[in-house]
Amino acid sequence: MSIMEIKQVGYSYDNKKKVLKDVNAEMEQGKLYAILGPSGCGKTTLLSLIGGLDSPGSGQIYFDGQDIAKTGLSDHRKNHVSFIFQAYNLIDYLTPAENVSLTSKLPPLPILERLGLTKEEAKRNVLKLSGGQQQRVAIARALASEAPVILADEPTGNLDEDTAQDITEILKESAHKMNKCVVVVTHSNELAKQADVVFRLKKGELQVLERVQDGAAQPQSRRNNTPRSERRAK
Amino acid sequence: MNLGIRAILYSARKWKKTLLVFCLLLAITTLVLSGLAIADAQEEQAEEVRGTTGASFTVERNLSTGGWASGNGGSYSTQEFISEEMLQEISSIDGVAGYDAALVSMPYYYTQSGESIITEDVNNSFYTYGCLNSEYNELFVSGRFELVEGSHITEDVPNGLILSRERVEKNGLKLGDKVSGINDPYADDPEVEMELVGIFDIVADKDDEATMYDAATLWDYTDYAFCSFHAMKEMAVNYEDGNKLTEAHFFVEDAAQLDNVIAEVQNISSINWDNFIITANDEVYQNISNALSDTNTLITTLIVVITVVSMVLIILILSMSIRSRKRETGILLAVGIAKPAVILQYVLETLLIAVVAFPLAYLSSKQVAGTLGTLFGKAAENVIVTPEHFMLVAVVGGILLVAAVLVSSISTMRLKPKQILSQME
Repeated sequence: MSIMEIKQVGYSYDNKKKVLKDVNAEMEQGKLYAILGPSGCGKTTLLSLIGGLDSPGSGQIYFDGQDIAKTGLSDHRKNHVSFIFQAYNLIDYLTPAENVSLTSKLPPLPILERLGLTKEEAKRNVLKLSGGQQQRVAIARALASEAPVILADEPTGNLDEDTAQDITEILKESAHKMNKCVVVVTHSNELAKQADVVFRLKKGELQVLERVQDGAAQPQSRRNNTPRSERRAK
Repeated sequence: MNLGIRAILYSARKWKKTLLVFCLLLAITTLVLSGLAIADAQEEQAEEVRGTTGASFTVERNLSTGGWASGNGGSYSTQEFISEEMLQEISSIDGVAGYDAALVSMPYYYTQSGESIITEDVNNSFYTYGCLNSEYNELFVSGRFELVEGSHITEDVPNGLILSRERVEKNGLKLGDKVSGINDPYADDPEVEMELVGIFDIVADKDDEATMYDAATLWDYTDYAFCSFHAMKEMAVNYEDGNKLTEAHFFVEDAAQLDNVIAEVQNISSINWDNFIITANDEVYQNISNALSDTNTLITTLIVVITVVSMVLIILILSMSIRSRKRETGILLAVGIAKPAVILQYVLETLLIAVVAFPLAYLSSKQVAGTLGTLFGKAAENVIVTPEHFMLVAVVGGILLVAAVLVSSISTMRLKPKQILSQME
C-alpha cells in the first residue's frame, strides 16, 4: 500500500520555466526509491515538493491518502518526512547528539553509535567531524525522527566510494529492516542499482525504469506509471 | 529539543555574537537611562525654578470704573472691596499654590508686663502686615526674609505675631510669649492680645531709598512685623476703610501655567470683573523661560537621537545576525519546526541577553548619569536613575527588541524552506 502519492504535479520557476509536468508516482513503505536524471531536470524540486518544503504549481501530493497542502506543510515536515541533504545541513552550534535530538525525543546516542559514531564524537562540535561522519549524523537525525518517509538529496554526492557504500547500505537497511519509504535523488548509478524502484525524470516527466540484470535500467510500460488513485477510480 | 534550550545553547556557544549584542545593549541602555535621569533632573530643576520665581497675579480694585466720594478732607473711591469669599473662590482654582492679602498699619507692641517692645527707631512702632498667609508675603516669597523659628501665620491662626530675630533677642522674647498690640496708643484704639508664633531672619539688606511717598521705606527691616489678619482688623476697628482689602496676591505652583490659571480665575462668574483688575507678575520667569526651554529641547533631542540611532544600530546588527542564520532557519523549517517557533527562538535569545544587560545597565547608569549630567550643568547628585526609569526602559526596550527581531526576520520568513536552502547552496 502506497504511503506517498504524487498526482499530476506540475511546477515552474517564476511561472516561466516548467520543470515538472504532470508527474505521477506512488511510493510504499519498505522500499528504496531512486530518482535519476540530468542536472537541473527538477529532481531536487520534486523531492522538495514530496517533503513539503515547497508547494506544487498544480496537482496534489498525498501522504497516507491525505492532501499535504490541506493538512499543513509544516505538520507534514514535522511528522511524516525527514530529510538527508547533500550538504548535510546540520546546525553548527549543536553537537551531533543535539542535532539528532532536534527531531526526536529518543536518546540520540544509540542511533549515532549504530551509525558508527563514538560517544566522544557524538558530543564533539559537529563541524569538527569528517564529511562522512556529518552525513551519518544527518542520517541519524532522519532515522530518529520516526517519520515513515526519508527523503535524501544526493546523500553520497560529497563522499568517497567506501563511505558512499556504507551510506547506501544504511539507507537500504532503513527501507528493508525499519520499514521506511526511502526516496533518494542521485546521480550515482551504483546507488540506483541497489534501489527497489528507479525513476527517471526527463523533460519534466517521471518514468519508472525496469531493473535489468546488469544494472542498466529500461523504461517500464506506461500502465505501471498510472497513480493508484486513478486506477482505483477506473 | 525545545526552543528554550536551543536559544540557551546558541547564546552560550556563539558567545562572540552574544557578547557583541550584550555590549551594545549595555551601552545603549546605560545612555538612555542616563538621558532619562538627566531629563528628569532638568525638568525638576525647571519646575523648581518655575516654582521659586514667585510667579503670581495680583487682584486689585479697579478705581477707574468705581465712583468717587468726598470726606475726611479729600476724595475716596467707592469701588467694591475684595471680600473673603472672593479670596476663597480664587484660591480654590487648580494651580494656585497660595495667596496673601494684607492690611498694613504701624502699631505698637507691649510685653505682658506692659513694657514697650523697643525698635531701632525711637518711636517703637512696627511696620506690620496683617496677613492671611504670611508665607506668601512678597518679602518671604522673594527670599529677603526667612522664617527661622516657629511657624507662619495662616488663616487658622487668629492672633499670631512674627517678629525679627533682632527685636526678639533685644526684648528678651521667646516663641509662645504673649504680646499686646495697639494701633495708636494715643487714641482710643483697642488693645489686642497676640502670641509670638514665628521669628524671621533678614537675608537681604534693604536697598530701597527711604521716601515719604512709600511708608515701607521708612522702617528698618528689623522693625517689620507680621500679624494675623484678624488681629489687624481688631486693632484697626476705628478706621473705616483701614480694615478692608484693596488687593490680594495669588501665587501659582508652576510659572508656566500662570496664563491658564488667570484665564480660569477670570471665568469665575460670581465676581464682577468690571470692578477688579488682574495683573500677572512673571517677569523673572519670562526672563529665564527661554533658557529653560532651550536646555529642555537640547536634552530631549539628544535622548531621541541616542535612542533612534541605537535602535537602528541594533536592528542592523540583529538583521545581519539573522541573515547570517538563513541556513539554520531553512534547516529548522525543513525538520518540521514551525516558523513561529523559529522566530520565538531568535526573540528569546535576544531577550536572554537583555535580561542580563538591562539590570547591569541600571547599575552602570547610576555611575555614568552623574558624570554625563555635569556636562549639562547638573549637579551629579541631582541626576538620579530611578527604578521607574529602569522599568520604562526595560518594557519599551523589550518591546523594541522584539519588534527589531520580527522586522529582521521578515525577509527570511517570507520564503519557503526550499527557497532558503537553495539560496544557501
